[in-house]
Amino acid sequence: MRKMHRVVVFAMIVTLLAGCAGMLPSAPEDRPVSDNNAVVALMDSARTDVAGGKPDAAVASLERALRIEPRNPRLWQELARLRLQQGQYQQAEGMATRSNSWAGDDKALRAENWRLIGEARLRRGDHQGAQAAFDKAATPGN
Amino acid sequence: MTHFRNFFTRKRVRLMLLSLALLLSGFALYLDITVRMHFEGKRWAMPARVYARPLELYPGMKLRPEQLSLELAMLDYRVAADPREPGSYRRQGDEFTIVTRPFKFWDEAQPALTLQADFSGTHMDTLTRQDTGKPVTLARLDPVLIGGIYPAHNEDRVLVRFDEIPPHLVKGLIAIEDRQFYSHHGFSARGTARALVTIVRGGGIQGGSTLTQQLVKNFFLTPERTLRRKFTELLMAMLLELHYAKDEILEAYANEIYLGQDGNRAIHGFGLASHFYFDRPLSRLDLPQAALLVGLVKGPSSYDPRRQPARALARRNLVLQEMRKLDFITQAQYVAARAAPLGVVEKAPEGTSRYPAFVELVHRQLRRDYREDDLRSEGLQIFTTLDPLAQTSAERALTGRLTQLEKDRRLPPKSLEGAIVISHSQNGEVQALVGGRNTRFEGFNRALDAARPIGSLIKPVVYLTALERPGSYTLATLLDDSPLVWKSRGTDDWKPENYDKEFHGQVPLRVALANSYNVSTARLGLALGVRQVMDKAHRLGVERDLQTFASSLLGADSLSPLEVAQMYQTFASGGFRVPLRAIREVMMADGQPLQRYPLSVEQVIEPGPAYLVTQALQTVVQEGTADALKHYLSPDLRIAGKTGTTNDLRDSWFAGYTGDRLAVVWIGRDDNQPIQMTGAGGAMTVWGEMMARLDPDPLIPPVPENIESAWIDPATGLRADASCAGAIELPFIRGSAPTETAPCGAGSPVRTIKSWFERIFE
Repeated sequence: MRKMHRVVVFAMIVTLLAGCAGMLPSAPEDRPVSDNNAVVALMDSARTDVAGGKPDAAVASLERALRIEPRNPRLWQELARLRLQQGQYQQAEGMATRSNSWAGDDKALRAENWRLIGEARLRRGDHQGAQAAFDKAATPGN
Repeated sequence: MTHFRNFFTRKRVRLMLLSLALLLSGFALYLDITVRMHFEGKRWAMPARVYARPLELYPGMKLRPEQLSLELAMLDYRVAADPREPGSYRRQGDEFTIVTRPFKFWDEAQPALTLQADFSGTHMDTLTRQDTGKPVTLARLDPVLIGGIYPAHNEDRVLVRFDEIPPHLVKGLIAIEDRQFYSHHGFSARGTARALVTIVRGGGIQGGSTLTQQLVKNFFLTPERTLRRKFTELLMAMLLELHYAKDEILEAYANEIYLGQDGNRAIHGFGLASHFYFDRPLSRLDLPQAALLVGLVKGPSSYDPRRQPARALARRNLVLQEMRKLDFITQAQYVAARAAPLGVVEKAPEGTSRYPAFVELVHRQLRRDYREDDLRSEGLQIFTTLDPLAQTSAERALTGRLTQLEKDRRLPPKSLEGAIVISHSQNGEVQALVGGRNTRFEGFNRALDAARPIGSLIKPVVYLTALERPGSYTLATLLDDSPLVWKSRGTDDWKPENYDKEFHGQVPLRVALANSYNVSTARLGLALGVRQVMDKAHRLGVERDLQTFASSLLGADSLSPLEVAQMYQTFASGGFRVPLRAIREVMMADGQPLQRYPLSVEQVIEPGPAYLVTQALQTVVQEGTADALKHYLSPDLRIAGKTGTTNDLRDSWFAGYTGDRLAVVWIGRDDNQPIQMTGAGGAMTVWGEMMARLDPDPLIPPVPENIESAWIDPATGLRADASCAGAIELPFIRGSAPTETAPCGAGSPVRTIKSWFERIFE
């Protein structure tokens, strides 16, 4: 009986955690985006530009960074986030999907991409698609 | 007498003077309108200027020292023992010291920087500021100017803005043509007086012209020399000075002045003259070159540097001497410039752009968004994706290989033509475009406009359509390559044949693509549906209408090399359609950003099947029709590619991609006659030579999550043990790998299973 109880609590915690993963804020991670300083510098300048209300300049910097590291999923994700902010939902989804294709086994990154995809679909009015994406975001291993 | 006096009453005199004044002012007004009309017409038409991509410099980047040297040469950076001036550099082995030119990029202005770059092998090792010794994370060289989009009535001009005119040239002009230019009002009193004296003495009308007067003279079509014309010119020059600033007048002058003759074509303006004599943009001229152009003003034919080099040299040195007298240049500059050779290119280049084919692509993409008039007159600055290093490799490989192929195959010289498109495999930026073997020719652009049957280049589309049905097709699925007769109402029976004229029985799918078998591919395509396959080609990015005949499955449809590149781009980027772009940004004349052409991606193919197609295309290079690519590029690069050959060997194609670049090469004849070569024998050799110069990244596509691998016995297409002889490991979409096992070893059930298969298919 006691054992059973423990299992149920454990299952609840797992579900809760998984649910939270889907709602994680888009906080930029602490670890550097790349071990190439040029890419780091471009990412920084993109963030400065976003904060300064210059999204086009930010996109330009991110594209410069992507020319240096086209396989870096965090750059693609940042571009997705920017496009989402700019209301370019189709592009946001495209970039996040591209990020996923390079994400390897980085589960947190994949979850965030699915969340961005869900958001993009939601704002485009695709509720079913959005739900499917949010579900993926919440699934460990997505 | 009184009568006479009466006639000249004050009133009458006044009246006469008044009407004379009226007449004069009327004339002046007329002249004013004329001269302003002429001037405005010249002034506001500024072409769009087109730039290559700027070379980004950062430690660790893939760049060989020779490539940096080439880029600097294309930018006309000068070699200096101790580089201090922007636009100069020094190379000592693998170490460079470069003083960059300041440049206003789309996103930011970069001042001149003195950089120290060290290389090791194919990479840049370190990059530091020479003054501080501090490391530099990222810097850009200024971009190569690759062309302009010129006003229609001025097709043959290279208009320049005042700030693009080298200061040496302006000073030279002032020293030798018009010393008082910045202080006079359009005419020189002394010069005019001297001219008058000459006229009175009966010496005809000549000399004494200010730059302003010379400009006005150019507004008239005939070089008439009458007193009246001289007077009119004088008035007009004064009027011009009233309306416009000195620099504006000088700018118009620089764009108008006659500087030479090329057959029927008159060379007007320093911008065009700079290309005509030196094959470089005006802003890149050094002191002796600028002095030579200034010297030409007096008489372009008497001082023609190609026909009269001695006279031209003397004239140039006179200009330098006058500049020295006025202290416009230092003694050291003077001595060095005097010692310099004329530096004129032997033959005038065909056009003013080094890359007319690429500039044409840019022009076409711009026309979707801009009015032609604005492109030709607003002075827009266009930042493009052209990589001059990739472009140079492509041009050299094409021209070199075509000549060699003609020799090897005893074809008439200059009978072969070709075209190349190179793009970035991930972001779709067009890095190079070659429209024919005469790369400076501004005419027929084969990369954009030569639509030719694509032959086997269509096959990956057939196989993609199959692999998207993992329940029915995998890389290991056996296909039927036995004789096929396709009956269709209203047309003759279609009996496709293989290139080797043989039939190959049961062949694994990946082998059928690797060896480019026609019969099994046709049978597969027919089973899938021709329309389904052609729809897939559209989904990949082909916009042109495609036929849905059975022969379309073997590439009877015609596409341009650029369209083929768009189609393969989707394979190269893992199933994402990425529109090919030639433009990054557009900036207004005043440096304000106007528009960006951003990267865009859309997933159009599931990652799984896209991955399998790339895997199959890697097999083409490893063991199929493109295996000779190993003579150019290491097999470790795992390049994916496809050869294409059309009926009677009329077209030779190769499309392929590495980790960082996609390229399509076509070879054929303009009159569509056979060229006696396959895709592997022709286009692929160009591709290989070109890519080898570009140090490609290996192709390591990310493995999609729903891909798993399994060991397969190729003969049966069944699962095998990894230890079995001949067993190979293949990727499958999860759940699609065969489940039945073919154990290895003599007397094993392999045989029975094989015979079972044979019974089924026979």
